Amino acid sequence: MNPSVEPRAAHEASPEPVIEVQHLWKKYRRPHIKVTSLKEAFVAFVRGQTGYTEFWALEDISFSVQPGEAVGVIGPNGSGKSTLFAIIARVLRPTKGTVSVRGKVCPLLELGTGFHPELSGRDNVYLNASLLGLSHEETLARYHDIVAFAELEDVMEAPVKTYSTGMLVRLGFSVAVHMDPEVLLIDEVLSVGDEHFQHKSFDRLKQFKDEGKTVFVVSHDLFAVEKLCERSLWVQHGKLLMDGPTSEVIEAYREAVAQQEQSVGG
Amino acid sequence: MKELIEIWRFREVLFNLVRRNLKVRYKNSALGFLWSLLNPLMQIGVWWLVFKVIWEMPEKNYTAFLITGFLPWLFFSQCVLDSTACVTQDMPLVKKAYFPRAILPISSLLSNLVHLALAFVVAVVLFAIWRVNVNIHYWLVIPSTLLVATFAYGISAMLAAWSVLYADVKFIVGNLLGLWFFLTPVLYPIHRVLGKQPTEAENWLRQLINVFLPYIKTVYLLDPITIGILGYRSGLLRGGENPIIVSPAITPEMTPEQVAAVYAQAAEKQALLQAQYPIGHYIIGAAIVALATAIIGHLVFRRLSWTFAEKG
Repeated sequence: MNPSVEPRAAHEASPEPVIEVQHLWKKYRRPHIKVTSLKEAFVAFVRGQTGYTEFWALEDISFSVQPGEAVGVIGPNGSGKSTLFAIIARVLRPTKGTVSVRGKVCPLLELGTGFHPELSGRDNVYLNASLLGLSHEETLARYHDIVAFAELEDVMEAPVKTYSTGMLVRLGFSVAVHMDPEVLLIDEVLSVGDEHFQHKSFDRLKQFKDEGKTVFVVSHDLFAVEKLCERSLWVQHGKLLMDGPTSEVIEAYREAVAQQEQSVGG
Repeated sequence: MKELIEIWRFREVLFNLVRRNLKVRYKNSALGFLWSLLNPLMQIGVWWLVFKVIWEMPEKNYTAFLITGFLPWLFFSQCVLDSTACVTQDMPLVKKAYFPRAILPISSLLSNLVHLALAFVVAVVLFAIWRVNVNIHYWLVIPSTLLVATFAYGISAMLAAWSVLYADVKFIVGNLLGLWFFLTPVLYPIHRVLGKQPTEAENWLRQLINVFLPYIKTVYLLDPITIGILGYRSGLLRGGENPIIVSPAITPEMTPEQVAAVYAQAAEKQALLQAQYPIGHYIIGAAIVALATAIIGHLVFRRLSWTFAEKG
């Protein structure tokens, strides 16, 4: 989009990047008085309290991800991680800059997302899969694999309101990894489920990477990121502070956190 | 156009959402559908009691009259009510996954359309039992439904978006619908409104109504719901004739001469009203109102839909 962007360096250009983020800025408005109803809006309007502060949730973020890479985004709460995730998932629009994603992107939906409590597990799988871009026939072909991976064969006809949290997570994860996406987006859902299922899902994600697919993880669970991703981005206050091998980024991040704690403690 | 293609690409989602809405609504059973008819049937029963039995409304087949008016109204009001929840109930999806957002209000509209179709079948069965003429002119129901649906989409889309921003929209909408109901000819024949003459101004409100009476009538008849109801009545009850009808008010104690006079009077009034309010013009007018509402509603929805995921 931006003609002034320099051509990529030759050694990087060999495979086409799957995710390419160029000078991404995202501005939010934070109203001084939080208005959630028309009544409040009316009162705020009459009192003239309609002011808001604008702030940048993301400032000039640029990076690209190659096929087969697993990239983690780490940072404290409110750092802009989730905004970055939402923009890559095409849920939010950037204020400035461009984001291009090649191939099929599949967000791993949070537990219960898209699941309606009254509907059976089966109906929810179909709803979720169609949302992630599968046709009815394609879902039908994978249905048994999805259920088997989630280990929920016996309860698929029961309404999901009878499921435990762990069961919902397993089903959500299973649907997402059976979509054959080129890019799997994961937001804070790695550390849920029991030990057994965690191992299983990690194995599955590893296999995913080996197939040349891309995993993009947003999490503040450093262990999960360390285990899965060879490369990490450290985002804080909306800025990309560091982009490099996970071990180095996490070390620097931990140091910064420790320093901050020290200065607060002292 | 691009949007339409995008929605078509996600038709599977649309289909699944409609299925979900219906399953949830009917609790997965045919009995659930019949259960959902209980409330409207009871309402019709109460109106029949009040207006036919107590008030002695001269309308023939008053129950059929009520049903034909209530079907499109119920469709419209349910669409509008459901729309206030259609985005907020699926907020987790909206925050995580990309899909054309217009799918949400469209899915709620389509589920209500299916519901209307099922209710319509029940109504036709009732008409057949009552020997109200079942005939070819029933086709009028289709354009009438389309008219109401177009209008309902515009209002629904707008309200769906506003409900995300303001939590109290649904309560306000519920109240306004309760008022709007009386501004549509579900309970009473249309000539009661169109034939209204200025009355002696006993207070300022009457004066105001007298001054604006011609405009009120025009606006009243341009309401796509009113035209939709008239279309249903014309098709289902009047064999496709002009729906502006004046029923003669006859009482058993009248002499044959009186009855003849009442009939003549009604016929004269009917001819006058039909000439004064050319129904064809108003159908076109209502269609324009419905289309404009749909376009404006969709644009409002599209503008706001990018902020949905930002809502905390």
